[in-house]
Amino acid sequence: MQSILRRTLASSNPLLRCRASLSPRAISRHFGFRTIVTKRYTAEHECVAFDETTGLGVISITDHAQSSLGDVVFVELPQVGTEVSQHDQIGAVESVKAASDIYAPVSGKVEEINETLADQPGLLNKSPEEEGWLCKIKLSNPSELEELMNEEEYQASYEH
Amino acid sequence: MSSSLPPVFYHFFRTPLPYARTLVLQEQLHALQLSQRRLGVHKDVLLLLEHRPVYTAGRRQHENSVRDEKLRLTNIGADFVNTLRGGELTYHGPGQIVGYPLLDLSRYSPAMGIRDYICRLQKTLELHLREGHGIKHSASEHTGVFLNPTTKVASIGVQVRHRLTTHGFSLNITEEPLSWFNQIVACGLADVRAGSIEGVEGRPISLMDEIPVLIERFGKLYEREMVEMDPNNEGEIGRAILEVEEIARQAGPWATEPIEAPIA
Repeated sequence: MQSILRRTLASSNPLLRCRASLSPRAISRHFGFRTIVTKRYTAEHECVAFDETTGLGVISITDHAQSSLGDVVFVELPQVGTEVSQHDQIGAVESVKAASDIYAPVSGKVEEINETLADQPGLLNKSPEEEGWLCKIKLSNPSELEELMNEEEYQASYEH
Repeated sequence: MSSSLPPVFYHFFRTPLPYARTLVLQEQLHALQLSQRRLGVHKDVLLLLEHRPVYTAGRRQHENSVRDEKLRLTNIGADFVNTLRGGELTYHGPGQIVGYPLLDLSRYSPAMGIRDYICRLQKTLELHLREGHGIKHSASEHTGVFLNPTTKVASIGVQVRHRLTTHGFSLNITEEPLSWFNQIVACGLADVRAGSIEGVEGRPISLMDEIPVLIERFGKLYEREMVEMDPNNEGEIGRAILEVEEIARQAGPWATEPIEAPIA
């Protein structure tokens, strides 16, 4: 389904044909403007949704991660303004008495954190990749995204 | 049975260990595991031990919020250490088996999720109570093992980094930990008190006798062969373990009861 969408868009939209390195995974409507958001995944179930127009990557954990964690009771987030390198520890999630470290999928600066998680840690279970977003990073090196997995590769990686 | 997985190497410490120094050991072994995993030569380890009297706080409890407690509790003869494990305030001391499984969850195919890992830990303890002592645990929404809704006999608190586990579980064998537990609200549960196997059995229980069968049950729940480690023949891991054993021996006696306990 996705590939059909991509081919149709590629032929009709000249902007898409220019994007050789990052194949768009979704078109989202944001305040009436169409933006291209690229989603990439790590082997440890972190997700980054990168918006090329803002240069911001929204960091979250995947649905698979939240189901294997159990009910989240506490979320530790980085401080706004922190500079992180790819693979640095940037926070932790606690569930069923287990504190699990989260790592930065990309390098950059933490611009915003999801304050709602302090009172509603369960959002990570209910809506891990949307309302349960962890933080937003201004990417210092977008080419790092190419090292990460796309959705198909990610799903294949844990479904043995 | 995942017979293709390598065994878990276990070691039981004969002398109660100081907590902080054991945490250093865990971090050493974790770092070794992480670096050796890149070459595919890392080992999974299970440490079984007792601690000298200590209260430990979990990741959620910032140092400022536990400062008063730390002062009070160190005055009654225990250590106090802040940790990065899940879970809240708890006590460890002689008469209680502490287990630190240092496992690579990604060895399993598919990788073992955290909820599954914790569940098997809990089931290992429940099986031990049932098979070893005819004790049926009381089901609870809280992680850990309960004798009844207000009596907790075992606790779990774990940290996972890159699918490598540290910290683990504790199981009250004798009555010795109880007067120490009574000094705190453990695990954030205000109306729960600590219980022990000895308390249920009504006769003295030898902690050492519990170890081999507990190891067997752990192996069953994690589908792994359990192999006793010889620290004299285990390279860096073995040397680190022997060092802690020696430090523990030299540390001398510990308080068997809280000093001038204000609460009976």
